[in-house]
Amino acid sequence: MGGNQNQPVPDPDVELLRSISAGDRHAFARFYEQYCKLLFSIAFRILNDQKEAEDVLQEVFLQIWDKAGSYNPVLGRPGSWAVTLTRNKAIDYIRAHERRSRLLENASTEMFVSTPGSPTAHESVPGRGDAELISSAVAELPADQRKAIEMAFFSGLTQHEISETLKEPLGTIKARIRRGMLKLRDRLEGVV
Amino acid sequence: MSDERLEELAALHVLGALTPAEQSEFDAALGRDPELRVLVAGLLAARDAVAGAVPPVTPSPALKQRILAELDARRPKVVPLPVRPAAGNFPGIWLSWALTAAAMLLCGILYQARNDLQEQVRGQAERIEALNQMADALRSETNTLRQTVAALRETTKLADVRIALLSSLLNDSPKAVAVSLWDNQRQSGVFVVQNLKPLPADRDYQLWVLDPQNPAPVSAGVFQVDPQGNVRIQFKPDKKILTAGKFAVTLEPKGGLPAPTLKNLVLLGG
Repeated sequence: MGGNQNQPVPDPDVELLRSISAGDRHAFARFYEQYCKLLFSIAFRILNDQKEAEDVLQEVFLQIWDKAGSYNPVLGRPGSWAVTLTRNKAIDYIRAHERRSRLLENASTEMFVSTPGSPTAHESVPGRGDAELISSAVAELPADQRKAIEMAFFSGLTQHEISETLKEPLGTIKARIRRGMLKLRDRLEGVV
Repeated sequence: MSDERLEELAALHVLGALTPAEQSEFDAALGRDPELRVLVAGLLAARDAVAGAVPPVTPSPALKQRILAELDARRPKVVPLPVRPAAGNFPGIWLSWALTAAAMLLCGILYQARNDLQEQVRGQAERIEALNQMADALRSETNTLRQTVAALRETTKLADVRIALLSSLLNDSPKAVAVSLWDNQRQSGVFVVQNLKPLPADRDYQLWVLDPQNPAPVSAGVFQVDPQGNVRIQFKPDKKILTAGKFAVTLEPKGGLPAPTLKNLVLLGG
């Protein structure tokens, strides 16, 4: 009785990737609709250019089409995997075009995380009713920790470069990133 | 390795900020430590929270079509295998083998062709659906603007204000629209633009007022749009306008030109 109750619920995104790897264009179109706005917002934040962000997004989705079969859950849930691909492609794009100055320029920009209540890219993912909670958790991080985390992720700077830019010892930067990320993980436990 | 050190490496790992040496060290630890994998999963959720807390920006509807077209272009073609001519002392047997092989090959090609056609039909259906959605969105935006203009026209306060709706003439920015509110008495106006393509630093959009009693369009200044393609400006033409017949926007070199480059017409309306 109730033999299936303890079976884990299959992740619909994993099912989508499975279908994509089998050449299902409908599944691909659904995955695109689900994540295009989130991924585009991330690419746009890194590149600050509509056309370049679209070029990067195109490469990311073609990569998803090509590599869906080799998706490894150790790399995170499908959405996380797509976020990683997008971030890395955007940073690679800047590096390939020898625009190191842009990385530094990005790093020097003020923090851009929306204040609680204003819209964020989280809301673009269908079924994400917890978007406001997630955005609040990020916005409530201590400013120094948030800054270090954002510089690492959006600017693609090395730990040493972050340390130089912020004029803080390397150990301090690493500790801020560690503490901030753990704090955020704890706050999001049970939410995502 | 201490727990603290592992946590530090895991946090930097999910942010893509490990050095190559640290990444190798971490990957090795990740392969053998299931608890570390749980830690990474939690930190990835935290990383995604940071990544998605940016202001939402929408890609152009054409991007999906570009990607689907690229997939179409990459679809592998079926290359028929070469069939050796029949030879030897048993022509009847070879002939039947050859016919069987040819029939099988034909079946394979037809099956693949059918699948390709089905894929193409599906692709076309998706494109039509996306185009319909885009058309609906455009209709909706235009209707909203028309309603706004109609409401403004009905406002007695604005009885002396000329209101014009400008539409896009660009294939790559069909959603670009603008409204011009022109006060002839004050010889100034307000110009509101939406969804216009942001420009490189060496270019400007230039606004023009077309006065039927003036032989040439009158410049009303240059402007740029924000990354979302929107802007609101106040403008004052270079010369006195007797009747503001139409308004136009052209794409020009930085700072604008004394006369419009007509081939670079972006928005027009009146």
